[in-house]
Formats: sequence, C-alpha cells, structure tokens
Amino acid sequence: MKYIESSLGKLKLDSCVTVASGTFGLDYLKLRDADGKLLLPQESLGAYVSKTITYELKAGNPSPRLYETECGLLNSIGLQNPGLKGFLQTDLPILKDALRIPLIVSFSGSSIDEFCEMITAMEPYQEIAGYEVNVSCPNVEKEGIAFGADPDVIHKLVASLAALTDKELIVKLSPSVTDIAQMALAAQEAGASSIALINTLWGMAIDWRTGKAMLSKKVGGYSGRGVKPVALALVYKVAQVVDIPILAMGGIHTWQDALEFIYAGASAVAVGTANFNDPGAPAKIAKGLQEHCKTNNIHIKDLIANLR
Amino acid sequence: MITRELLKVVDVNIPAPQYVLLKLDAGKPMKGLIPGMFYELRAPSQAGRLFKPISILEVEDHLLSFLIKVIGAGTEAFAHLKAGDGVEALGPLGNGFPSINGRRVLLVSGGAGYPPLAWLKREADEAEFCLHLHGCATADEVFPCDLLYTVDGSQGHKGLVTDSVESLISDHKIDLVLSCGPVPMLAKLTNICIQVEHYVSMEAYMACGIGVCHGCAIPVDSDYKLVCKDGPVFDATRIRWSEL
Repeated sequence: MKYIESSLGKLKLDSCVTVASGTFGLDYLKLRDADGKLLLPQESLGAYVSKTITYELKAGNPSPRLYETECGLLNSIGLQNPGLKGFLQTDLPILKDALRIPLIVSFSGSSIDEFCEMITAMEPYQEIAGYEVNVSCPNVEKEGIAFGADPDVIHKLVASLAALTDKELIVKLSPSVTDIAQMALAAQEAGASSIALINTLWGMAIDWRTGKAMLSKKVGGYSGRGVKPVALALVYKVAQVVDIPILAMGGIHTWQDALEFIYAGASAVAVGTANFNDPGAPAKIAKGLQEHCKTNNIHIKDLIANLR
Repeated sequence: MITRELLKVVDVNIPAPQYVLLKLDAGKPMKGLIPGMFYELRAPSQAGRLFKPISILEVEDHLLSFLIKVIGAGTEAFAHLKAGDGVEALGPLGNGFPSINGRRVLLVSGGAGYPPLAWLKREADEAEFCLHLHGCATADEVFPCDLLYTVDGSQGHKGLVTDSVESLISDHKIDLVLSCGPVPMLAKLTNICIQVEHYVSMEAYMACGIGVCHGCAIPVDSDYKLVCKDGPVFDATRIRWSEL
C-alpha cells in the first residue's frame, strides 16, 4: 500500500498497520462479508504478531477472564499458550502456510536464560521475521512485567537476545512504570531494533451489588478506548528520547486514532481490542490511512513524529 | 463459513418481561445449522461495544430467531429495534448438540437457557422419545415446554427443574440428557445423570467469538477449553464444575 509503507528497524512493512499480540488469530483472516469477500485481506497488514508464547505451555487463568467496562476491556487471560515446543511443532507450520506477510513472534520467559533458550530455538526458522519481547504482561507472575520495570534488567535481557539474532527485535514495554523513557532507552542501548508500547494498564471492575470482582484474578489488564490518551502520551515521551522506530498500540479503533499515534512518533501501529468490537478493523484502518494520505498527497513516513 | 454482516430485522416482540424475541433475515437459506450454535449479535446503537453471544432459537429457511434475556445495555438495545433495522451479526458459531436421532432424550432448560432445547424439541420426531423440561424463577419466564417448574410455584410444578429428573430418567428409559441453564442447575444435573450421557451448552463472557482471545475459557478435563470454539456444548462429565 504505497502511501502507508513503513519500516520497523530491520523490517520493511508494506502497511504501517499491524495487530497487537493476543488479540488476533488466523481466524480473523478467514471471516467474510455478506458478499463472500474477505473482511481482512492480509495485505492490509504490515505484519502478523503472534500471541505471546512461553517456554512451558500455560493453561491460563481461571474464568471469568474478561469484563467490558464503559470504555475498554479488562482481561486476565494469563498468556494461555501451547509453549515453545507446541508452537514450533503445531502453530508455526500453520502460520507459515497461511501468511504472506512477515511473522513476528511475541514471546516471554521467566528468566534471562529462558528468553535466550527460546530465541535460540526459534532462530533457524526463516518464516519468523522478527520477535516481540514481551516484558510487560500484567497477568502472569514470573514472566512479563517483572522484567519490564527495571532498566538494568531490560538492558541485560535485550543485550543477551540481541547477541543471538539479526532479525527484528522489538521490545514491548509496560505503561506501569515511573519513567517509561528510561526503559525504552535501556532497550535501545542494549540493541533493540524497535520499541512497542503500550501493553495493558492495570485495571479492575467490581459488582457493587455483590462486592464481587468481575475477574477471577481480581485485577487484570485494561485495554481499548479508555487507554488511548495514556498510550499517546507514552508514545510521545518515548519518541522524544529514542532513535529506533516505535510500534504503537493502545485503544486504536479508527484510522484517525492511528494517525494520532503516527504524529506522536510511531512508525507503525497495532490494532488490538478493536479486533473484538469490529472484526476486520485493521483493514478499515489501513484503507482509511491510505486514502487520507493519497488525498493529501503525502506519505505516512512524512507524518511520523511530525507533531505541531 | 463465518460471516460478519448486517442482518435485517423482520420482527421484534416481547414474549415475556425481560425477554426479546428477535427474528432476522439471513438473506439466504441457512443450511447445516445445529441446535446449540450461536451468533455474536449487536444492535447498531451499541457500536463500539462487544457483540453478545446469543443462541439460535429457530431456523426457518432464511429466517433466524433469537430469544434474548435482557441483562444489560447490550441486550436491552435489542428490545428497541424495529422491523427493517439492521443487526450486526458474526456467525454461525460453535459446535451444537449431538444428534437426538433414535435416542430417548430428556431436554432440560433453565431460565435464559431455553432456546437451544426448544429448537431440539421441534425436531423431536427424529427421537424415539423426547421430553422437554423448563424451569424458571417465576411465571414471568414461562415458555412452551412439556413440564414446567417455577421456583415460586406461580405456574407449573413448584420447585426446581432438576427435582424429578432422576425418576423421569428411569421411568422413560432416557439414554441422552441435553441441558442449558445456570451453572448450579447444570452441576446438579451432572450429579444426577451419572449413568446417562449428558451434554450441556455453556454460557461465558465472550469477546471475539472465534477462538482468538481465549477470554471465554472454562475448566474442562485437565485444561481450559473455549466456550466459543470448543463449545458451547460439552460432555458434562468433563467440566470441572467446582471451579465455576
């Protein structure tokens, strides 16, 4: 898509629109409209980002795992996934077969050694174009956010991973830190080729009638419309200090939302919760951006960080 | 094939307080649908919110009927629709109940769990024997069935729909029980139906409806299964009821 081509570090994207880990699956690429046409031709997407995988398989958290609030979604899925071995044996061949766009594998480990073992095991697979290092999931105990809150730990982890791959290495950051710019700088210095933000915020809902929490884990991750202003501000803050590209996500539902993130400093965007409200949303967003740029005879790259 | 489309409302009425009966035109003959299957539906006024998973009540050629219990803004919005309006629909979804062909079947529904069993009852000719029990809190939730139970005794038998299941199973030599309703009812039924094949249709808070988000997981066997994609119909003995 000529007007909205972009790139993330080492990865050229034919569209600056991607999908957020955990909110997208191949089934979305099979949905059709009333005329039998695909709702979401995969060429609308610059890349496909997998659900986060962990070293061992994870059954996930008890139910209920979801609750919709007035302006966003709470979840405590708990990184349910088949584990590295299950992913490589079962899921990866299916993805390889189905995808004509770059595949980015999101992964998380419970120690630096485990992260390294995982990336080493994935390196031989040519169908993996890059990695999203998830150091920011709020719904698991050992993996995830424990790593994302300390710049020294981020530096050590990313440096270890960068030494093991030449592929795109995206570090996905949590908004639940005092200074996200420090985390982004640590990742950049250690060799990350791009930064993704934001992962979900902490969120909670309680039924006032019964006093019962709406999620079994009581507190979960908050995403969707309500987090957009927070995400925009954090993308802007990170864009002020890093030179590597930013993959932005956080409440993007329309092409106008996506454009705001581009102005804030993002080179590409990811659509997450909107996939559930509006199956096929990423295609509409890509089309909207393409038409906007065409009408104004401007390329999306010229708008990155072009905040007035 | 799962489609996302705008289906035209043919008819809306309120058959009971807190319930909406919605008839939609699918635009083409709907073949191969099985009782227990559902659609993710949303009234246009709810754009931006999640779809609601709604079980199919009836299929007549190109028409799809849904009986929806009003529990919040998303379901209440269906009551304000008029013929000619559009409803956003994603579906058909889910696996559906096993065949009742040649079986001696007991259908047990509770409250809003009525639709898939009412659909099965209409296909009772296929079964060797078929009895539909429906239970609800008061006469306000009464729908056509063979044996009715209300908790307050305002109509039908006073008590729970599960009260006479054990004797009905032995009296009528039942070899298949199919059910849908609140978890305590289904769990109790599972304890009663130890010797009989028993399938339940489960309800869960749902986002995507197609197996992507893993939000509607319930404990099954030693794992979690997705109500939207692995279900909504499960072998009742495989569900870890104490964790729900």
